[in-house]
Amino acid sequence: MTELLLWFTNFENTKPLALLIFFTVFCGILFYVYGSKKRSKRLESYKNIPLEDDDIEVKGK
Amino acid sequence: MKHDKIERNLGILLVLTMVAISVGGMVEIIPLFFIKETVEKVEGVRPYKPLELRGRDIYIREGCYLCHSQMIRPFRDEALRYGHYSLAAESKYDHPFQWGSKRTGPDLARVGGKYSNDWQTQHLIAPRSLVPQSVMPNYPWLATTDLDYSDINLRMRALRKTGVPYSESQAEYERNVEEFGADVAKYLHIPDAEKNLIGQAQQGNYDTNPDKLSEMDALVAYLQMLGTLVDFKKYDDDYFVKFR
Amino acid sequence: MAATGTAAAVNVNEQYNYDIVRKFTIMTLVWGAIGMFVGVYIASELAWPWLNFDNPYITFGRLRPVHTGAVIFGFGGSALFATSYYVVQRTSQARLFSDGLANFTFWGWQAAIVFAALGNVLGHSQGREYAEMEWPIDLLILFVWVAYLTVFVGTLMKRKQPHIYVANWFYLAFILATALLHVFNNLAVPIDLFSMKSYSLFSGVQDAMTQWWYGHNAVGFFLTAAFLGMMYYFVPKQAGRPVYSYRLSVIHFWAIIFLYMWAGSHHLHWTAIPDWTSTLAATFSIMLLLPSWGGMINGILTLSGAWDKLRTDPIMRFLIVALSFYGMSTFEGPMMSLKDVNALSHYTDWTVGHVHSGALGWVAMVSFGSLYHLVPRLWNTPMHSIKLINVHFWLATIGILLYITAMWISGIMQGLMWRAFDDFGNLQYSFVESVAAAHPFYIMRAVGGAFFLSGMLLMCYNVFKTIRKGSVGVEAVGIEGEGKLSPNAA
Repeated sequence: MTELLLWFTNFENTKPLALLIFFTVFCGILFYVYGSKKRSKRLESYKNIPLEDDDIEVKGK
Repeated sequence: MKHDKIERNLGILLVLTMVAISVGGMVEIIPLFFIKETVEKVEGVRPYKPLELRGRDIYIREGCYLCHSQMIRPFRDEALRYGHYSLAAESKYDHPFQWGSKRTGPDLARVGGKYSNDWQTQHLIAPRSLVPQSVMPNYPWLATTDLDYSDINLRMRALRKTGVPYSESQAEYERNVEEFGADVAKYLHIPDAEKNLIGQAQQGNYDTNPDKLSEMDALVAYLQMLGTLVDFKKYDDDYFVKFR
Repeated sequence: MAATGTAAAVNVNEQYNYDIVRKFTIMTLVWGAIGMFVGVYIASELAWPWLNFDNPYITFGRLRPVHTGAVIFGFGGSALFATSYYVVQRTSQARLFSDGLANFTFWGWQAAIVFAALGNVLGHSQGREYAEMEWPIDLLILFVWVAYLTVFVGTLMKRKQPHIYVANWFYLAFILATALLHVFNNLAVPIDLFSMKSYSLFSGVQDAMTQWWYGHNAVGFFLTAAFLGMMYYFVPKQAGRPVYSYRLSVIHFWAIIFLYMWAGSHHLHWTAIPDWTSTLAATFSIMLLLPSWGGMINGILTLSGAWDKLRTDPIMRFLIVALSFYGMSTFEGPMMSLKDVNALSHYTDWTVGHVHSGALGWVAMVSFGSLYHLVPRLWNTPMHSIKLINVHFWLATIGILLYITAMWISGIMQGLMWRAFDDFGNLQYSFVESVAAAHPFYIMRAVGGAFFLSGMLLMCYNVFKTIRKGSVGVEAVGIEGEGKLSPNAA
């Protein structure tokens, strides 16, 4: 166990590891955002939120 | 059911954001507190004496760090202009550090001993009387204001809490004697702080007015010790590369 | 000041808490005017040092933190409070979580800025750039910030709209990051419970790394991420069309908040910090260019197909020029973080110019644009004068150009003079020769600042007249839902 912890304290090990982890996460996000047509459509629909609030207000009047 | 999901989303957003913003800072800063080599021990570096400490407080009060750096970089022109590049160890007792980020005026990391007390005092009172093109403000009130040293013990005690080896007890004092030598250790002893402060001011006569213990005494005492602690003549040129 | 939140509250005042937005909007203008005036004054002190008047309270060293505090936390901070409270309510379609807490953030924040300025003038300083406030003020700020987070998150939890709009993500990251930075950078030991004086917990290298982790990310989150949140709401609103790509905004968000935090130590190149931190910071600074430009492009392309708005709508012009300056300074920044460039640029006026191309060009311009959009909606009346908005735009733009040109020239000149050698290998110039050489550019900078300040004052006048004419509480007709100014107005 201690050996494993010591491995992490060595920057020559952790730097590439961190790079690997974060690059994977980044690719994950990219894939999540652009990967599926359906999801893309859903995400893009959110961009109208700021413009929709006016309608609601008119209804409230 | 839907509400649950929404709340969870906000929670996830909070947590992920926190993770993303914490990682960078942790990776860069935390190791510095553990890696021994970050601040190598260098002979001669010592905490500030009480008078110098008050001078440093005034330096911070007047915002000198906004125009003067205290960090010489390892370049040929800086070596010629200012002296040996700064070592990490030289600011190890600096709470806060005063490296600065702008040189509207010159670097002061090794200004100690370059000019006489007389010059420093006159320059602080009226910089343009000595350097006509200077844009530094005049600080005449430093010479006319009595130095308030009533809380010097409190100041040193606060610094002691942060880890500066000022001594409170006899045992601590002896440890300082061992580490810094008796001449220096005496000045680091908190119970004697006031006596030492007055003594150093009288002996040094920094503001060239022996009748008055002014803020100028403290500030010039501080300026005159800046960068003088390490004797670079004792070492080879390459010796300090590993301490940078 | 207009009577706010009276019993006449109708409809919109019940649906949303606009009262708090109005208060912060007004204080944004007040602090903008004060902070920029102090800025022009200290710039003049550098050009004509007699302006220090041998008076301790107005010397450059004490006024500079007053300037930075008033413009960053007073002007920028109030603008962020105002817009974030507005945006989170409008995009959540929910009223602010707690009026009481929101009011506390207003009074607490204003008090903190006033105390900080007074403290600086009287000589109470922690000696940490952009965090000069002493420990009691830091504690007050912390309380305000916790309240702010509570109000913001509380409002998001009340939202009727299932999705959290991306602008709120940026605001949220800004609030969280600022809390984190504020707490760790201000760790200090007071010398006494009844004394303002304290000493920082860390020293030397660790302290420098902590301070510039703070300093850099205060720029990254306070002055960038948060204002990007502003951009993601007000640019689409003013343009009357949705943001160019929502997916890009998601990538933009995660990339920028992750990368920013790594780059702090590029402020400490060539100093006594370990080499690997320098290299790491430079690498991440270069990478930062990508999300920064991604965000800029996303903002500017929002206008694609409606470029004529740039000609007809001065508010749109503020927003788009702000994005252009953002793009420029986020290109300049990574370049200056290269160690070889930094060797020349660091400690010179170039840095000051860079900061101001970001602060004036991006932060202030995007705030002006957003406020000009906001004020008519808050007071239910069109702006007093569209013409004056246009004049403001040109005063501001000319001011910035003068300012950064002056600082580029003097900065690069200083860098070159300091490292110049004569034929015998001696230094060619004494330090003070570089000071003398910078003199004309210090004058030019002060003039540029004066231009910018006069634009700011013009805005104050314009908004004041608008408020006098306007009313609070009655739903406006013809402003909402239109999303643009009438074409003949400009």
